[in-house]
Amino acid sequence: MSASIYARPVLPRIIVRPLLATLALHGLVVYLLTANWSSFEEKTITPQVIPKAIDARLVDVSEILPEPEPVKKPAPQPKPKPKPQPKPQPAAPKPKPKPEPKPVPEPAAPKPKPEPKPDPEPSREELLREQREQMAESLAREEAARAAATADEMAASYAALIQRTVTGYWSRPPSARNGMEVLLQLQLIPTGEIVDVRVLKSSGDTAFDRSAMNAVERAGRFPELKNLPPRKFEETFRRFRLLFRPEDLRY
Amino acid sequence: MEEQLSLIDLVLHASFTVQLVMALLLLASMLSWYMIVQRIIYFRNSHDDMINFEEQFWSGIDLSQLYREGNERAAEGQTIVGMESIFRAGFKEFSRLAQQPGMDSEAVIEGSRRTMRVAMLREEERLERHLPFLASVGSTSPYIGLFGTVWGIMHSFRGLANATQATLATVAPGISEALVATAMGLFAAIPAVMAYNRFAARVDMFTNRYDTFVDEFSSILYRQAYALRSREKKAG
Repeated sequence: MSASIYARPVLPRIIVRPLLATLALHGLVVYLLTANWSSFEEKTITPQVIPKAIDARLVDVSEILPEPEPVKKPAPQPKPKPKPQPKPQPAAPKPKPKPEPKPVPEPAAPKPKPEPKPDPEPSREELLREQREQMAESLAREEAARAAATADEMAASYAALIQRTVTGYWSRPPSARNGMEVLLQLQLIPTGEIVDVRVLKSSGDTAFDRSAMNAVERAGRFPELKNLPPRKFEETFRRFRLLFRPEDLRY
Repeated sequence: MEEQLSLIDLVLHASFTVQLVMALLLLASMLSWYMIVQRIIYFRNSHDDMINFEEQFWSGIDLSQLYREGNERAAEGQTIVGMESIFRAGFKEFSRLAQQPGMDSEAVIEGSRRTMRVAMLREEERLERHLPFLASVGSTSPYIGLFGTVWGIMHSFRGLANATQATLATVAPGISEALVATAMGLFAAIPAVMAYNRFAARVDMFTNRYDTFVDEFSSILYRQAYALRSREKKAG
């Protein structure tokens, strides 16, 4: 009877596209998850270790901080400013003739004239206040600029410091050759201690790799990093790479 | 502990039960996505078919010709689904009953209506396929994931019982890998629930359209049946 309805209860076969879409989606998700997981290791830079015969001393933080202070020079700048302003004062008495305000085109000029005459003191106070404000303003600007600059400078100097310290501890094995390089990944905590050292790219010579690891382990910690602002620390030193590459060898 | 935990490691180092749970959830997620995409395609196709058929049906074409066209397509091996299969069921039954002498026009209409209802139920069944699975993935997979997590945390705390010095580092990896199970459960559940709700609404829409079509079509058949019977009476 109604066989025609039930003869083909089959669904139209839709298999391939959903299957592909499913696989693609899950593959993408897994890829994204695993890729993201490791990606935040990679944003750090490599302070290059170039071993030298002479070992330099550590840089003290106090040496870096005073540097921007000489920049303060702009502060004295406001001082010369008062000079031009006092000038109008002696100038004011000159145009004393009051009938002459009209020929003077500037309305601003006549106003200061009467003021200095009754009491020149308030004007000086105003000047002082103005000067102080300017000082404060320029100081604040300087402060901000210095904060930004010093964070970078400090980071750079600490990178140099780490490089020097580690280099100091590095004793290369006799198998070391020019052109060998081993890339280490260091993980620090904000107190400056090294929590983790890993070989990212081996030089192929285990003794050489080992010597680099030893150097880092012997350095142990860089307590100076405590002085770094936390954000800068996270940015630069939470995880970073060290490249060991002897370039001064003769062979 | 020292090494950076990667997602792959977390999954690989998990305990057997947790791994089993994860595998189950992955399977559920894959199946539900397969069904979601399959349903999307199927719904889109049926919607297009429905629009096309309605256009054809109301274009004033002769109904028996429409039926014959369908026959040709069925002979080519095409499966006819959706509104057209309802139409074909109703029309076939109508013409069959109308040919039988002595059939009351009411009975003819009743018969064809019944067949159309059957065909419609059939269509609904096709539309609703896989939806129960999506619903159960949506409602149970968070619990499965939670089970995996609880199990994993239980284990990592039991391992802690033997340690003399308990640090966060001894439990953290265990908890972290256990939590992956919950994340996977949610990952499977959220799309399934959303898709289920959407598809349920779509199915409702389709059933409404089919219902309306059945009513419209039977009113047309009514007219034809009466015309036929009155002609027969005049002739007879």
